[in-house]
Amino acid sequence: MTQIIIQGLLLSGLYALIAMGFMLIFSIGRVLNLAYGAYLMVGGYVYFWVSQQLGLPQIIGIAAATMMGVIMGLLKHRLIVKPLKGDHVAVEISTLILAVVMQAGVVLVFGDASKILLPIVPGVTQIEGAAVTYNILVAAIISWIIIIGLYVFVRNTYTGRAMQAVSMDEKGAAISGIDPDRVNLITWGISGGLGAVGGVFFASYTQLSPTMWVGPLIISVAIVIVGGIGSIMGTLIVAHIIGFLEVIVVAKLAPELRGVFTMLLIIFVLVLRPQGLFGREEAH
Amino acid sequence: MNLRWYHFLLWAAFAATLMLMPELVSKGTLRTMIFACYLAIFAVSWDLLSGRTGYISFGHPFLIGIGAYTTAILSKRFDVPLELSIPIAVVVTMIGGLIVLLPALRIKGSYFALVTLAYMELIYQLTQVVRPDLTGGTRGISGIETLTRGAVNGYYLAATLLIILTIFSWALMRTRIGTALWAIGMNEESVRGSGLSTTKLKCFAFLASAFVAGLGGAFYVHYLGSIAPRALFDINFLFTILVAVLIGGAGTIIGPVMGAFFLVFLLEWLRPWLPGAERYFIYGLIALVIYMYEPKGIIRIFSNLLGKLRGANK
Amino acid sequence: MKYIKQSLFESVVTKSVTASFAVSTALFASAAMADIKVGFIGSLSSDTGLSTLRGAEIAIEELNAAGGVMDGQKITLVKADTGEDVTEGIKAYEYLAESEEVDFIISGSIDDVSLGWLPRMQEFRIPTLDTWTSYIGIIDMVVEDREAMAPYFMNIASDEALATLYINFGKDVLKDKMGFNSVVILAEDTAFGEAITGLVTEALAPVAGIEVADIITYDINTVDFAPIFSKAQDSGADFIYQVSSVNSQVMSSQYVKLQVPMAMTGVNVSALGLEYWEDTGGAGGGISTLSPVPSVGFELDPVSQAFVDTYQEKYDSRPVVPHFNGFNAYHGLKQAMAAAEAAGGFEAEAWSQEMLKQDLVLEKDGKLWLRYGFWGYDEVEEVTNRTYPHNARFDLTAPYDDAQPSMVVIQWMEDGKPGVVYPPEYATADFSLPSWVPAK
Repeated sequence: MTQIIIQGLLLSGLYALIAMGFMLIFSIGRVLNLAYGAYLMVGGYVYFWVSQQLGLPQIIGIAAATMMGVIMGLLKHRLIVKPLKGDHVAVEISTLILAVVMQAGVVLVFGDASKILLPIVPGVTQIEGAAVTYNILVAAIISWIIIIGLYVFVRNTYTGRAMQAVSMDEKGAAISGIDPDRVNLITWGISGGLGAVGGVFFASYTQLSPTMWVGPLIISVAIVIVGGIGSIMGTLIVAHIIGFLEVIVVAKLAPELRGVFTMLLIIFVLVLRPQGLFGREEAH
Repeated sequence: MNLRWYHFLLWAAFAATLMLMPELVSKGTLRTMIFACYLAIFAVSWDLLSGRTGYISFGHPFLIGIGAYTTAILSKRFDVPLELSIPIAVVVTMIGGLIVLLPALRIKGSYFALVTLAYMELIYQLTQVVRPDLTGGTRGISGIETLTRGAVNGYYLAATLLIILTIFSWALMRTRIGTALWAIGMNEESVRGSGLSTTKLKCFAFLASAFVAGLGGAFYVHYLGSIAPRALFDINFLFTILVAVLIGGAGTIIGPVMGAFFLVFLLEWLRPWLPGAERYFIYGLIALVIYMYEPKGIIRIFSNLLGKLRGANK
Repeated sequence: MKYIKQSLFESVVTKSVTASFAVSTALFASAAMADIKVGFIGSLSSDTGLSTLRGAEIAIEELNAAGGVMDGQKITLVKADTGEDVTEGIKAYEYLAESEEVDFIISGSIDDVSLGWLPRMQEFRIPTLDTWTSYIGIIDMVVEDREAMAPYFMNIASDEALATLYINFGKDVLKDKMGFNSVVILAEDTAFGEAITGLVTEALAPVAGIEVADIITYDINTVDFAPIFSKAQDSGADFIYQVSSVNSQVMSSQYVKLQVPMAMTGVNVSALGLEYWEDTGGAGGGISTLSPVPSVGFELDPVSQAFVDTYQEKYDSRPVVPHFNGFNAYHGLKQAMAAAEAAGGFEAEAWSQEMLKQDLVLEKDGKLWLRYGFWGYDEVEEVTNRTYPHNARFDLTAPYDDAQPSMVVIQWMEDGKPGVVYPPEYATADFSLPSWVPAK
């Protein structure tokens, strides 16, 4: 039992971090950034290149990955989202194409073979009979720091509140003097950075591979959809629901059905309560 | 219906061009065209459902896969003759279409897209876990009976199917039902306001789309001779269908057909020069640039060019 | 080690140079006289695909340097990439068959990709040699339909034979030497996982005397294996048997990082190449797996060694040493050409009969070391009591004087060196437990 709680908490923290960046874009622009998984992938590979192939300190690797994520987010907003003038379907399709292009790019540069990252902090400890690596512990703690930081930022800074305003009512926000375009740009940047950092941790859990963008994208989609629009708390709670669901299915039910339950959850929630469990009511 | 004489002429020219191809091109090119035909059928099916109504389906491989797997399992595992297994597959796919319809009664846009994506992921995982003795698990099924042998026959079959389904879809979209579907995409409330049953209309669109998808999927698998979950329920397969429609021009039936041919040929022409992963990179980039330049597709680029030419002549 | 230090820029440049080189060879090839055309089908960006491709390239170079085959005809090679995608595999086969009209195809395809293009092979009847997939289902197809499958050969021992020899390893090493009495099987939910699990569970208890305490099937995209390892520990078994062909290194690296206090062995496909150590950042120590031969850490006979030397002179990117299928491609391509020479061409039936007669015995220090030959239609293998037509010859009983064993067990030591630990005739190291696992 304690094992399940510990393993569930650790996995859920990681999922929450991954989903945050996706949730931000979905809340502010109402668009699904299907290239979000590619941020994670590129973040992971940049970290691998800097810290493992070039042998620079890990912190520089993480910083480089974050920078790369922010730049990608900004570029994506300027080159794709803005020219398409908020046509949701067009943005979704073009981000999907972009993700596939980036996958081919990664194969081109790094090849097909999967790679395992060295632990960011090596070592392992036993907590209540559950083996926990320091790496995962650190990943979970950093996830929480980032999530709390994000919460404080959105709640207490001018930019953060502007983001909330745009998320609720873009026209209204524009009337009250907020530049929605700028807010959007900033959000895409932050989302990219969060995605890339999440990617480093996700990859340190699992592996680097050119197809690794699909898994976390689906997890993010599930969390954000079930959680609902515009709620950091909702995202956090649902990340835990999905994280624990996975751990319990694996430990107590049938490990091969791990993904099936997540998909069923998405379908049921969307059909029965389209605004998500914790989201605002939306008029389509 | 609002038919004009030049409609008949254009369709006759379209059919004649496709039918003449075996005389004009090599067998290798024909093989490529067969894939283009099937991709075009899937694109048309997607267009029937999503091109007009605004219900964007990210789970189309779900429908195609149901059709393909049903007839594959029936013919391979239970020795059901193809004349029977293909119609059954189409019916089963249409039932699958109704399953996709369920969420569409309540949700729209990105949300709907996501549920359908979840459908695809779900069936991808289920085909591997549930009854692998029937589905063949991850490895899929090989040695499925094929309808034809050789490039020329395979091509005639695929092209005929494409011509029939395209004309069928096109005609359908020119009826009042097609117009009503457009209206749903524009403003669902006002359609409801005008006294039409949107549920019935949507149901019709989903069934028509599933019919084409099921038929296409069934013939496709009996052309390939093998099936695997990774080849069907995959984001890359979805990607090809979506891109074909959108590059070609959504909501136009003939646009997706052009898009499919363009993409398949782009990929094959790159092969001798870029045999490896570079191909997908360039291919994706070209698709992205065209799409960003004209989200309404090649068909719009053509009609713009045509318009300019006419303008220059005046 | 060298390639890993290569800068990104450099690797991009190399790729584009290779690409333009490919263009020039393609142009040159079409301008050349009517020669023998060999097609390669496989992934051009995976170690697996590259091993087969390069093995074939070296064999072709050597044959051409020796004056060509069939009255001095030169061999040219055409590549078709599958990207490990089933549909792309079918297109690639069609491209080779109808656009390039190749005479012979050498394949480095994975299971489902091979199964995808097999109907095309039956249609075109182009002699085809598979060097990587070991799926017994394909050999069953040869048994069922001799005529349709005549052009098909597989020169790696099929997975049924692999699993069978593993039972001996279980008895000799795990039971007798390590004292293990029970096992928990962790198998991925793929057809491969199911097949191997079935074979192992059926034979392990009656033959090796090891009880199967539990079978845990897991999803291949599992992110966190900690709950699965907890479950394995709860089963009370003495060791874990891993069956993993997809994303294998995720599971094994988490095993190492979590320092799971149980021994783990089995099938870990990612550990088959020499790059495993670098790809896992060293989180692979103590992992052991079945491997087809020649595996990493396997001592080589002089002929195969010469092949590796040529290989390393010619290529400086990964894989630094070809995987087993590279050897299969090198020897197999030469045999395919010899068969064509004897049959007077590549007509499927005639070629097939000659291919069956091919037999290459490689000796090391006077002992039979490797044998490249095929099982005939009516030859019954004694241990498994079934036939393996068109499958690579293997030997399931010591002292392996008929052919090499169907597989060896290799182990990655914690210092990053791989060694063969079973069977003893081919062993270079002793099977050992990882340092964090308490001895029983």
